[in-house]
Amino acid sequence: MKSKVVLFGAGIFIGLALVLGGWGIYKVGYQFHGSVINPPVRAADFSLIDQNGTSYRLSDQRGKTVLLFFGYTHCPDECPGTLAQFKQIKQQIGGKAKDVEFVMITVDPTRDTREQLHNYVPGFDPAFIGLTGSPADLEQVWKSYGVYVSPAPADSQGNYEVGHNTRIYLIDKQGDWRITYPYGMESSQIAEDLDHLLN
Amino acid sequence: MPEIQKSKDSKYRPYIKRLAIIFAACFVIALVFNEAAYRIQKDSNDRAPQLVQIVIPAGTAARVAAGEPVPSIPPGVSFVEGDVLEVINQDSVNHQLGPLWIPAGTSASLAMDNPEKLSYSCSFQTSKFLDILVRPATTYSDRISGLSISVPTLTALVFVYSLAALPLDGREKKENDARSAETNG
Repeated sequence: MKSKVVLFGAGIFIGLALVLGGWGIYKVGYQFHGSVINPPVRAADFSLIDQNGTSYRLSDQRGKTVLLFFGYTHCPDECPGTLAQFKQIKQQIGGKAKDVEFVMITVDPTRDTREQLHNYVPGFDPAFIGLTGSPADLEQVWKSYGVYVSPAPADSQGNYEVGHNTRIYLIDKQGDWRITYPYGMESSQIAEDLDHLLN
Repeated sequence: MPEIQKSKDSKYRPYIKRLAIIFAACFVIALVFNEAAYRIQKDSNDRAPQLVQIVIPAGTAARVAAGEPVPSIPPGVSFVEGDVLEVINQDSVNHQLGPLWIPAGTSASLAMDNPEKLSYSCSFQTSKFLDILVRPATTYSDRISGLSISVPTLTALVFVYSLAALPLDGREKKENDARSAETNG
């Protein structure tokens, strides 16, 4: 009888140790895939206009995680690539996507009018948000986020490309800059980080 | 039938025995030579992955704006595959290095997972660029694959040479024949 009690006690002890150890490894051991900003600091606030003409202020999004990048609708490569990646990430995180906002801020306000954003951004996903604003407002945002914007000379048809940064910023529920991702990082890795943060 | 099988086994036994001895000897020789060659030719940058830190000192943005280089920041950094770059921003303004965004008073890190040579746009260099070189690391699997090539080749060569230099018709063969005769009764 005594040996059974000892065995039972040992079983409970080992079980608890495994559960606590596993939880500790889970909590301490997770390595984010992106570039972690340590310590997290308050992301620069801004107020711009979305594709529906509604004012969008970053500080009003507290409680939601924001994935943000800078791009333009006439971009031939990285910007549609990033929006397509956002779509994959949204699918990968499933139901948790309701707590995430996917945002593109234009670097080409001349062509990216509200109507142009309205025609372009929801084509990837109706929940995605495209932001524009006055050149002065946008320049302030670009500066705060370290974004260089370099329009190339227009061709004979008036088309031009705009050089710009391609990183993705992850702003957490508290409104802090938390992680940045280089262009080309796997969607699954970003989704994994998001999943961990949303837990 | 079993006796014929046994006889066949006995016939090949001295070859197998010799091959096994030569294989073991060649393994040790190849191991010693490969390691010696690796250590002699080893690049001084070939080391275990580690954390590499770049500190952006206070006042860097002002210096860069004035066109003055920051002496503590090198124009290029060399990494080994698997290193982690940590940039610590002690300046009062936000900085960036390629995909890294480093707000004032924070640090940001980037894993150097792929061997490559690139030039990152950089806000804390007067040139506006920082050269990054990520060298491939020599891993244990590289060294094991080196052994997996050299050991069978060396074994085959030495075995063939041994058959020519010390044919099994000698003492080893006689011993084997005697053993076979005993076994067969």
